[in-house]
Amino acid sequence: MSGASDDGDSRLRVAARRVVTPFVDRTVAERVVISLAAILLSVAVGFVIVLVSGRVATCETAAWTMPLSGIGFCYDPVEVYVVLFNGALGYPFAVGDPGLFDPSWTPFNLSFGLTLSETTLLVFTGLSVAVAFRAGLFNIGTQGQLVVGALATALTVLALAPLLPASALGGAVLIIVGTLAGAVGGGVWGAVPGALKAYADANEVITTIMLNFVAANVAYVLVLEVFRAEGSSVVATEYVPEYARVTPRLFPGSSDFALTVLVAAGAAIAGLYYLLEHTAFGYDLRTSGIQATAAEYGGVNAKATTVRAMTLSGALGGVGGSVWVLMSEGRWLESVPNLGFDGITVSILAGNNPIGVLPAAFLFGLLKGGGLEIGFRTDVPTELVGVLRGLIILFVAMPEFFRMIGRRTGLGGGPSRKTGDDGTAGNGTSTDDVTDGGDTDG
Amino acid sequence: MGNPIAALPVVSDLVEDDYVRSLLGGTIATLGVLALLALLFPASVAGDLADIVFSRSTAASTARLAAPIVLAGLGGIFAEKSGVINIGLEGLLIISAFTSVYVASIVGVGTAVLGVPAIWVGLLGGVVASTLLAGVFGVVCIEFEADQIIAGLAVWLIALGLAPFASTVFFGGVNTPNLGARVSWEYSAVMVAVATLASWWTLYRTAFGTHLRAAGENPRALDTVGVSVSRVRYAGVLLSGVLSGVGGSALALSIGQFVGSGQTMVQGKGFIAIVAYLFGNYNPLGTLGAGILFAGLDATQIRLQQLGYAIPDTLVQTIPYVVVVLVLALVGRTRIPAAAGEHYETEE
Repeated sequence: MSGASDDGDSRLRVAARRVVTPFVDRTVAERVVISLAAILLSVAVGFVIVLVSGRVATCETAAWTMPLSGIGFCYDPVEVYVVLFNGALGYPFAVGDPGLFDPSWTPFNLSFGLTLSETTLLVFTGLSVAVAFRAGLFNIGTQGQLVVGALATALTVLALAPLLPASALGGAVLIIVGTLAGAVGGGVWGAVPGALKAYADANEVITTIMLNFVAANVAYVLVLEVFRAEGSSVVATEYVPEYARVTPRLFPGSSDFALTVLVAAGAAIAGLYYLLEHTAFGYDLRTSGIQATAAEYGGVNAKATTVRAMTLSGALGGVGGSVWVLMSEGRWLESVPNLGFDGITVSILAGNNPIGVLPAAFLFGLLKGGGLEIGFRTDVPTELVGVLRGLIILFVAMPEFFRMIGRRTGLGGGPSRKTGDDGTAGNGTSTDDVTDGGDTDG
Repeated sequence: MGNPIAALPVVSDLVEDDYVRSLLGGTIATLGVLALLALLFPASVAGDLADIVFSRSTAASTARLAAPIVLAGLGGIFAEKSGVINIGLEGLLIISAFTSVYVASIVGVGTAVLGVPAIWVGLLGGVVASTLLAGVFGVVCIEFEADQIIAGLAVWLIALGLAPFASTVFFGGVNTPNLGARVSWEYSAVMVAVATLASWWTLYRTAFGTHLRAAGENPRALDTVGVSVSRVRYAGVLLSGVLSGVGGSALALSIGQFVGSGQTMVQGKGFIAIVAYLFGNYNPLGTLGAGILFAGLDATQIRLQQLGYAIPDTLVQTIPYVVVVLVLALVGRTRIPAAAGEHYETEE
């Protein structure tokens, strides 16, 4: 679609428009508005949940009293959100006096480091889910691909470490090879459901869910029986050598956050965006995602594209596992966090747009970092963060709800978007038509 | 243990009843062979295995473990047959497991409401909670045309956060204290059997069942004859809430406690339920068979561990998942209802 309409334009204008289009395109703008509205609505519902549970819980003195009514509540919902977002950044605003910037605040603090560490990990898993989504595939298996990739990384680095000099150079080689191993491991694990989908017509939603369990269980047994570190109380491999880890420089060591990895994550975003929007492979991938049969008529090998997309998706998830091992844990550990599942939420919030993955991952990073602070500073159970995460996804999943509100209140403006692309609204595999919608004609 | 393999040759010609019959036949044949071996060689592994498989305690724990799987699986059939893929069964099990224990503890074990003992009031409470959550899911999917898979995941995530959250608020920790009373396994077994037969009868012998299947296969036809597709789909989704609610409550009340750490006490049983009804090819009887098979494997494995056989339990628990991937790979497309996952817009 896009290729034909570009012929008459000067190359520069085409290039400029291609960069700008995603940001001015109505569907993208609408998606951003819906995502923001979903976040706000979740915050509001969370507010009510905190209030209600604060009414039920017992405490000596009320933490918050409702204006006008004088009813006391055990939990202070305002404080919860102040602590959540302020705490996730390491309290740039003085506690007790929100709004007053704390001059002694530095971005290189522990809490913000934890937030960014989570953000970095979620960028990779979010991209993993997003690339599959764009190909019309719902990869719920990023979690399993991450588990396999992480194990591949840990074992590869541990196996190669004795062969290389224990220097910065040796470490760099180990990190690169380890990350490649993670990409291969995750890629292979992702290729399996891709091939099953392409050649056996097996629903990838089901197969990837199942392969998550298989990956977790098999990796666990492998480490338990074969690769377990001696004397370890938990089921875990040996630690990789210190010089083969990506260690924090600017941020405190215990934050497990290295800025270089976030930069690499940014590069991955840019690379994936370029791949999707500006290469033949990306075009094949997106067209088979939007309309598989049409893509076939257009000469796209849909089966091969499916396998490739799932392999790429799995590889990204696997790299997420590498980062988890080399940056966060330093070893493979039985309790793998739910980064892959959170990647689904990140990708959905981002509208499956690689660029949107960054702010979405940052939001969930904030929730993670802020959740820890809620546990330290308030009586409200930290599980609140899990509820918020679920609510955000629920609301993002129902764009029609916000469109309806927009139409009712007149805020949404413009004619209803119900016609045309909304035949796809019930089917998340095609939630996306970013640059090449019919409205890009010059 | 060879049940899945015994079923494989017939899997290729997937005529619905034949398939289920072979599944059940394979299971019975395997058990028969095991019994024969045990009679001939009572001192061997087969003897031990038979003692376990045919023991009362294994039957009890199988019933206990199978209840949430089979009941949620039956619920999943109703939702999916009506055209709404409910991947949030896990969330429904979690929320009902917690609520049942909470309600039972509020009523107070030992007291009764209108002659109904607290524990059964708890079960009812669990069913109500699960049905409400399923109702929200239904509104989101049917009214607001949400993507069903994403909304289902959201249901799971919300319950996964909400149950431990509420448990901490009410009981001061993610695990509730033990009620000191529980539902015995015979009740679980009866509930499973009744629900299976009732589901089968509803799906294949009532007008409502016909409407339900039409809503998933050909909603336009249903619309044409004047039946509201939305209404039928709401019924399907709410039924999945009711059945999952019974399953989740039975799971928690069979122990008398809700455990909310990690993946909670439900531990993926909602996803196994999806496996069960796919493996049972959307047939309630097949779902029952698959649920008992998976739960039985788990129960047998637990006993084997206790007898000192060093089988990594995690690998045994992996079997159902691998079986499903294999079945999907060999059979390919499961007979998913044609219009499942798609929103239906009523014609004017």
